[in-house]
Amino acid sequence: MEALPVKNRLRVMRAEREWSQAELAERLAVSRQTINAVETGRYEPSLGLALRMARLFGMSVEELFELEDGAA
Amino acid sequence: MSASRAARLIPSQPIVPGIVWGATYIAARLLLELELAPGVRVAVALAPVLPFVFTLVGLVQGIRSMDELHRRVHLEALVIAFPLTLLLVMTLGLLDLAVGLSPDDWSYRHLLPFLAIFYAFGIWRAWKRYL
Repeated sequence: MEALPVKNRLRVMRAEREWSQAELAERLAVSRQTINAVETGRYEPSLGLALRMARLFGMSVEELFELEDGAA
Repeated sequence: MSASRAARLIPSQPIVPGIVWGATYIAARLLLELELAPGVRVAVALAPVLPFVFTLVGLVQGIRSMDELHRRVHLEALVIAFPLTLLLVMTLGLLDLAVGLSPDDWSYRHLLPFLAIFYAFGIWRAWKRYL
């Protein structure tokens, strides 16, 4: 499957806080599978979830997610 | 919604009404093998409709309570299952015209298990894509 043209820093931000995927999922009220799919680039979260993620890490959505080089 | 609740890909809400619907359907199938008055036969044939409505309501509630990835999996499952159902109905219709299928082998009641199989296949495909 082709990688989605959006990359994110979710795994890095989570690791900095030493949270497991399950802990982050609990904080965001989503499943651990959702966190894993976002971190591995297989799933792009909704705008609402992206905003909640960004707020949780105290950063903007653009800092947490960015388009791959060359992506339209 | 807790993460553990969201982690369930199969929602719990339609399980009980689904069991009732399945039991009603099987009972209707068995009863319709008997000699019954036409009015009773129609009533028996329509008996599974109400439990199915409750199952459907439960399914919708269950899917709405899931997190967004699991909802996406169910949506993609439908995207796979619906065209497969169309394909099956189209093929059976054409085969019926071509060679005349026996209603004892292929009729509406025979399609039901295929719909469940297609949906399960769609869930498996979508699940594999994301997880």
